[in-house]
Amino acid sequence: MALFGKKAGSGGAEEQAGKRKKVALVGNPNVGKSVLFNALTGAYVTVSNYPGTSVEVSRGSAVIDGKSFEIIDTPGMYSILPITEEERVAREILLHEAPDLVIHVLDARNLERMLSMTLQLIEAGLPMLLVVNIMDEAERMGLEIDIPLLQEKLGIPVIGAATAKKRGLPEIRLAIATADRSRHAVFGYGRRLEGDIGEIASLLKGGYPLSPKSLALLLLQRDEEVATLVRRIEGERSGEIEARVREKTFERRGSFHLDLSLERKGIVRGILAGVLREPDQRRVTFNERLSRLTVRPATGVPLLLAVLYFGLYKFVGDFGAGTLVDFLEKKIFEDHFNPWVTGFIKGILPWEVWQELFVGEYGVITLGIRYAVGIILPIVATFFLFFSLLEDSGYFPRLALLVDRIFKKLGLTGRAVIPMVLGFGCDTMATMVTRTLETVRERIIATLLLALAIPCSAQLGVILALLSKAPGALAAWSVCLLLIFLVIGFLAARLMPGETPMFYMELPPMRLPQLSNIFTKTYTRMQWYFMEILPLFILASVLLWLGKITNFFERMVEWLSPLMAALGLPRDVAVAFIFGFFRRDYGAAGLYDLQTKGVLNPRQLTVAAVTLTLFIPCVAQFLIMKKERGWKVATALGLFVSTVAFGSGWLLNQFLLVTGLV
Amino acid sequence: MIRCGLCGHEFAEEEGIRGCGSCGKTCRMVRCPRCMYENPPEPKVVKKLKSILKR
Repeated sequence: MALFGKKAGSGGAEEQAGKRKKVALVGNPNVGKSVLFNALTGAYVTVSNYPGTSVEVSRGSAVIDGKSFEIIDTPGMYSILPITEEERVAREILLHEAPDLVIHVLDARNLERMLSMTLQLIEAGLPMLLVVNIMDEAERMGLEIDIPLLQEKLGIPVIGAATAKKRGLPEIRLAIATADRSRHAVFGYGRRLEGDIGEIASLLKGGYPLSPKSLALLLLQRDEEVATLVRRIEGERSGEIEARVREKTFERRGSFHLDLSLERKGIVRGILAGVLREPDQRRVTFNERLSRLTVRPATGVPLLLAVLYFGLYKFVGDFGAGTLVDFLEKKIFEDHFNPWVTGFIKGILPWEVWQELFVGEYGVITLGIRYAVGIILPIVATFFLFFSLLEDSGYFPRLALLVDRIFKKLGLTGRAVIPMVLGFGCDTMATMVTRTLETVRERIIATLLLALAIPCSAQLGVILALLSKAPGALAAWSVCLLLIFLVIGFLAARLMPGETPMFYMELPPMRLPQLSNIFTKTYTRMQWYFMEILPLFILASVLLWLGKITNFFERMVEWLSPLMAALGLPRDVAVAFIFGFFRRDYGAAGLYDLQTKGVLNPRQLTVAAVTLTLFIPCVAQFLIMKKERGWKVATALGLFVSTVAFGSGWLLNQFLLVTGLV
Repeated sequence: MIRCGLCGHEFAEEEGIRGCGSCGKTCRMVRCPRCMYENPPEPKVVKKLKSILKR
């Protein structure tokens, strides 16, 4: 990608900007750049792909002290020497759009690591403001940063801030309004390196957006884009420059990057002497201690079990599926609403067939709406509440690390934890996300495991609710699912050739979940879920009604009867499996209904729950499997999953009959 | 601002990847541009409330 040569910017937007001063926010990812950008710009934001790239850049307006500014939120960058497309775009903005002020935002907790880029930006001669962000967390860790001394040493304005808490924002606004681009300190490298840089810099005669010293360093680091720029600007002189650069890089081959990095580290250490004070024994916060406990197998596994017991079993199972469902489904629907609506419909519709459509055995109201509102809604509400609480605490990435080792044995990496965790929300979305895995082998294994052994949130909630009433059944279901997940994954990894790639994940800090976040996330998820399932549940009821009046449904049940008998299940359970074709949770709700009618004993309940969980994925998931992996693989996976589901159900039934465990 | 529930990346709603609709679902989740995790966007009611409180 040759970004230097072309006209960048956002066309009309830029023209509109007129003589507004430009302010570019730069820095590593996750240092609070976007928070600062939003705080400065408010609602006046446009997001567009940077010309010629797929990288998005946000631009907004801000009026500070009566002056208008264009604020640009650049993609995350680690160094002025770019490696990724995002870094190239960030540097291109710095170079081509000539901002009047560059605000480098860095994380106070990682000052030593991030200050190296501040040096590079100062060295490039860019007009700078340094924002040392996330000061609140740094202080909590016992770190002391002398901001005035840092400002004195760097020779540029420095502001300590915690933008997420709005700390430092007035000072940042004032600094933008009164920016002075003439001041900054000068840093020298060792004699030999300075000699080499000086030799190259002295040959650069044209006008550049960066200082000759910075350009010389980039040339010595074999930056192709800078080399192209120099060729274009210097014309005939570029031959001599290239020859000198070649000579220098040959002399220092193998050690230049290391030497430069060590020298920069030395300068940073010098700057931080007296600026950064760390406690003799670093204060370990409660959140950090908890974070460590969650990722160590010895403590992480018991903690995970405790989370599952109190969160899923007690809260979702006992409270959601017990107390809430009893109230809504039994008290409201069965005792009051259904009898009233049945009488009402029968009063206004004289034809029995049409009465059946609304208030019959598979009626839109008496079955579809009762399932959606009376059974599924309270269960998913408690599940989403628990899920949002874990999510907001930062537990999920730690869970990913905890299971990473086991995943490697299944031919997957820690990266696959992302679709797997997502699968507990929605397997369809998770199947799409498998495309982010590095190898085809990983994608197929992950798709298979998602289709087979990862229940979606609604199905999980209903099944937990069902089984929580029979603790032995819940334990048998959990062990079965885990065993099948591990055995199938292990076999797939052995049968499919290929290597497992490397993976690492940066851990965001653990924090006390915020009530507002939990309720907002729960509300959004419930709203989305309810709007999605209600029409489908109604449609399924209509199809079932059609199936009933045409006797097709009865024939399907008849056709599945031998299979049910082989699994040791009553004939009626076939209804839940037919429901399951439409949606996983609809099938689970059908099972719930059968259990409340007392049709199933604990053994049959366990076998039905295991088979239904493993059973063929819902229509939407199957279509995505086809889209992502193709017809052949999707059909093969579908057939395999169904065979494993019924095979496991049969085996489990035999096992429980012999042992009498449940 | 959305803070990704998985990787902790903070991004504006506009930066996130919207549901593509290819699964046929009415999913309104916003996927994190860094790890693809699906995050629920802020509900309209909350946005409106916030804008009223800001005034």
